[in-house]
Amino acid sequence: MITGWRRILLDKGVGPLFLTPSLILLLALLVGPFVYMVVVSFTDLSFAIPNHTGNFVGFDNYRKLMRDDPLFWDSFWTTIRFVTAALSIEFLIGLSLALLLFHSIERHRIILTLILLPMMLAPVAVGLMWKLLLQGEFGMLTHYLREVGIFGAQTAPLSSYTLVLPTMILIDVWEWTPFVTLVLLAGLLSLPREPYEAAIIDGAGPIRVFFDVTLPLLRPIIALVLLLRGIDAFKEFDKVWILTGGGPGSATELLSIYTWRINFRNWDFGYGAVVALMVYLVVLILCSLFYKAMNLQQGGAK
Amino acid sequence: MRGHESVHARHKVSRIWLSLTLALLILAGAQQALCWSLKEAAEPYRGVTIRTIGEALPPLEALDKLKDKFTKETGIEVIIEQYAHEEAVDKVMLDLNSRTGRYDFIIQPHRELGRFVENNHVVPITQFVENPKLKDPNFHPEKELYTNLWKEISWYKGKPYGYPFTAITMFLWYRQDMVNDPKEKEGFKAKYGYELKEPEDWQQYHDMAEWFTRPDKGFFGTAIQGKRHVALWYEWLNFLYSFGGDVFETSKGYEYGPIIVNSPEAVESLDYYKGLIKYSPSDTLNYDWDGVMAAMQQARIFECIMWNDATYAVEDPKQSTVAGKMGFGMVPQGKGGKVGQVEGWSYLIPTGSKQKEAAFLFMQWALQYDQQLFQQLNGGASPRPDVYANPEVQKLAYTKAALQTMEVAKPKATFPESPQVTDILVLALSDALSGQKTSKESLDWAAVEIHKLLGDRAPMKYPVK
Repeated sequence: MITGWRRILLDKGVGPLFLTPSLILLLALLVGPFVYMVVVSFTDLSFAIPNHTGNFVGFDNYRKLMRDDPLFWDSFWTTIRFVTAALSIEFLIGLSLALLLFHSIERHRIILTLILLPMMLAPVAVGLMWKLLLQGEFGMLTHYLREVGIFGAQTAPLSSYTLVLPTMILIDVWEWTPFVTLVLLAGLLSLPREPYEAAIIDGAGPIRVFFDVTLPLLRPIIALVLLLRGIDAFKEFDKVWILTGGGPGSATELLSIYTWRINFRNWDFGYGAVVALMVYLVVLILCSLFYKAMNLQQGGAK
Repeated sequence: MRGHESVHARHKVSRIWLSLTLALLILAGAQQALCWSLKEAAEPYRGVTIRTIGEALPPLEALDKLKDKFTKETGIEVIIEQYAHEEAVDKVMLDLNSRTGRYDFIIQPHRELGRFVENNHVVPITQFVENPKLKDPNFHPEKELYTNLWKEISWYKGKPYGYPFTAITMFLWYRQDMVNDPKEKEGFKAKYGYELKEPEDWQQYHDMAEWFTRPDKGFFGTAIQGKRHVALWYEWLNFLYSFGGDVFETSKGYEYGPIIVNSPEAVESLDYYKGLIKYSPSDTLNYDWDGVMAAMQQARIFECIMWNDATYAVEDPKQSTVAGKMGFGMVPQGKGGKVGQVEGWSYLIPTGSKQKEAAFLFMQWALQYDQQLFQQLNGGASPRPDVYANPEVQKLAYTKAALQTMEVAKPKATFPESPQVTDILVLALSDALSGQKTSKESLDWAAVEIHKLLGDRAPMKYPVK
């Protein structure tokens, strides 16, 4: 119980003052840079071009993005393909593994520990490891895929325009499915027993129980894991950069790589700010959609 | 008569005065040259630390081994940071723009020079050269360095901004032991109708690539640096120049001018370059210079076009299985004659440097013959021609090719937007190699993008419909 002078201070409304340090940090580290980015997006600021010192250019950068930059849109759609495919596969495999482990968790604790290994590796290490595995001449995986006839004698996944994006997706699936499994398994373990008992008494079979009980109860967790992974996949940079540098051509130029190229290869911060804002906008829309899905579910449960 | 004698006497006196003055001047110069010492010049800076950054390759590794000698003589500590090519460039850009002054001098590729100069990030070295306390009177860069190279890579619009760190070009690497193999010679002559020897033109280069491609044995005729990386652009420039093409129709790196990167010669060169994929290892589109060099070191390819500052690594038996088996020559000849592309890294002094004078003393010292000889013998690519005359250097298998290429090497753009031009071309080339576009479509796209970037300063000589 708060007594004496502390009580008096709180009664006089000094409480919010204690939030000030956090608010200052928040403003300095998040809001401030974001506002600065928006301001820069209306300028021609460039570290490379003389006299481009941050002069106001109105909506020129936005116009360029919308009308005159097909590379941005190529990169945008490549990213959408990457995120959608990676997320769907990770969810399907993750859910299957979580269900499998859920029914035999006591016996499979070691397996659970083992499947978590890929997500514990640093992305750069993952990139380098897969670069060796998929090397065209002496990569171990390439060799065996050729041996079993999946790859032709001259197929090298990182040099093939058609194979390279699916390869990136599969590597992402390998790295992040364990995370999806872990979160979904935690969700499954936290579900109440009563609805299952009621369903079984009502005569529901395992498939009916899965679709009518497990999935609806698990929906907030599914939304959460898809949200986290979606944001993460949208920001993917390290692995792809190490493995392909965005190529061949622009086959794996994800938005993060494109943004990096504009900002830190061309040092064109004015236009780079618009590109970064667009990435932010997409992630924001993604977040809102998932939050909405979660809230809808919570509303439904009430 | 007396008057005539008087004039004669006056002339004689004048001549004596003139001779005396000249002698005094020479003596003064000699005295200055004799009196100047690095130790005394560095005395005001004793105890300071200077820091630099450059690309982690044998020339810089050799300099790193030498720096203690400089410290011993001057009391100036030197820290050398070594990074991969692009990282070394990015770190410098961040430092220069944030003006933190982390680096007292920098070692950078010459395509970046325009950006640095036009944004006042580097200072001309004139102020140091004109300071008798700093300038070593025994060092005459205009005579001792490759003058054209120096003016191309370290000067901008008539002003010197530094000294060359390396004089690098690209030339032909091939397996001489295979060329000398009688069985190969016989088989090759039977198929192509001429002797197997060092390829001198692109037809021969192609024929040999085809002849030596044996995928069943894991051996290929060539390898190209096909990854979407700056290495791709550098390599293709050799083909472009040799086929008679260029990126711009200009004579100086800092000049803007008509875009000719989509000329018929350029398209032909890219078609040819693309045609080499079928004689290259399957992963060639994911190789940069390191990938191709490793393929040669592991004896998996017959020929390639490679940098001279990487040659040391292929001739080092500790790192390479083909050391002593290699041959080196000029880039094969095309319609454009015998050419190569000159690239070089320069010592430059940032505006924000806190120890400009000490940095200048180090640069000057590093370019002395002894230091250059040590660097050259340890994998350097010296900008001093006299180093190549040294008997030890002459023994290196690649010295002749390096010297020949230096004589015909062409410069490239250095204006501020040139790195962006490079980026556009890297993407265009990668698009063509990956089969997304034809050579013509790719280069037309590049020409349009470069024109958008540079505007009226760079009209398109070959307009795209």
